[in-house]
Amino acid sequence: MSSVFDEVVCLLIEVVGEDFLLDTEITPDTSFNTDLALESIEFVALSEKLQDHYGARVNLVSFIGDMDVDGIMAITVGQLVAYIESQLAVRA
Amino acid sequence: MPDIHANGARFHVQRLAPESADGTRAPAVVFVHGLVMDNLSSFYYTLAGPTVGAGAHVILYDLRGHGRSERTPRGYSTSGGVADLCGLLDALGVTEPVYLVGNSYGGFIAARMAVSAPERVAGLVLIESVCVGASASAWIEDMVNTLTAKALSLEYNRLPERLRAAGRRKIARLAAQADALLNGTSLIEDLATERPLEAAELAEVGCPVLGVFGERSELAGGADDLRRYLPDCTIEIVPGLAHTVLREATAPLRDIVMEWLPRREIAG
Repeated sequence: MSSVFDEVVCLLIEVVGEDFLLDTEITPDTSFNTDLALESIEFVALSEKLQDHYGARVNLVSFIGDMDVDGIMAITVGQLVAYIESQLAVRA
Repeated sequence: MPDIHANGARFHVQRLAPESADGTRAPAVVFVHGLVMDNLSSFYYTLAGPTVGAGAHVILYDLRGHGRSERTPRGYSTSGGVADLCGLLDALGVTEPVYLVGNSYGGFIAARMAVSAPERVAGLVLIESVCVGASASAWIEDMVNTLTAKALSLEYNRLPERLRAAGRRKIARLAAQADALLNGTSLIEDLATERPLEAAELAEVGCPVLGVFGERSELAGGADDLRRYLPDCTIEIVPGLAHTVLREATAPLRDIVMEWLPRREIAG
């Protein structure tokens, strides 16, 4: 698994708490809504942590710009990781 | 953005700066969400992106007791909401007038601020919000009744515990938050003593106002009251929609607001 994947999982644990995630194996196919039951406000908090971690290179507001709320919450961990990796590659 | 302390409480705030931020003095746009089950994410996922994309500085925050902001025992009136927002803007160093975009109760707070702190408000966008006249009186009464019934139900049905036991984490947490807010704070009591803005107060509002309502909304009377008391306001009706304009008609609402804001030179 990539280092970005590991970093996203770490930040996710900071947002929702380790106790909850202990019950859930996170893979690239894990969805934020169905599998993790992430609340929309928690996804905002995750977005902020990603921006703090990666800087302006990773702009989640742009990433989700054309999606509706349901589409955003249906994103998988793998899709988010792929977006971050693509941004890091473009702007490295 | 760290949490911000203002007016005796801790607030969760998100600021979004345009990529081409060049220090222009374009007014910021502040989004104010609705009551109880709402938080800043409803604007974060809908209008915030297009607004920052248009070149504006965006501020979103969770109202007192909502989202990730502190749930204090008291302070949930619209006047309290205005004091919170003024305190937040002070803490953020925002001294220029801002555009306020409010959804439902957030619009009521925004309108109250345009009356009580007009020097801080450049313009108002009121989405499915009532703040004056018979429509506002009826909405307040209806909300108090609805929330009181909801509070009793949450307390006596032990809904959060039952949902948690059923493994429904997200809904269980939302129910627990609603329970704490409705049964553990003065929110309903504050709402019960809330009064609509006076016609004379609203007549003093000099900033531009855009009101957006769903055609089938039970608050559609609010559009008539806005026209009656603020004859210069702009009213847009979204066909076929009820109260959930922000969530269910995001694209047309975005077009309406984005078309209106630049006309006010929001993008600097």
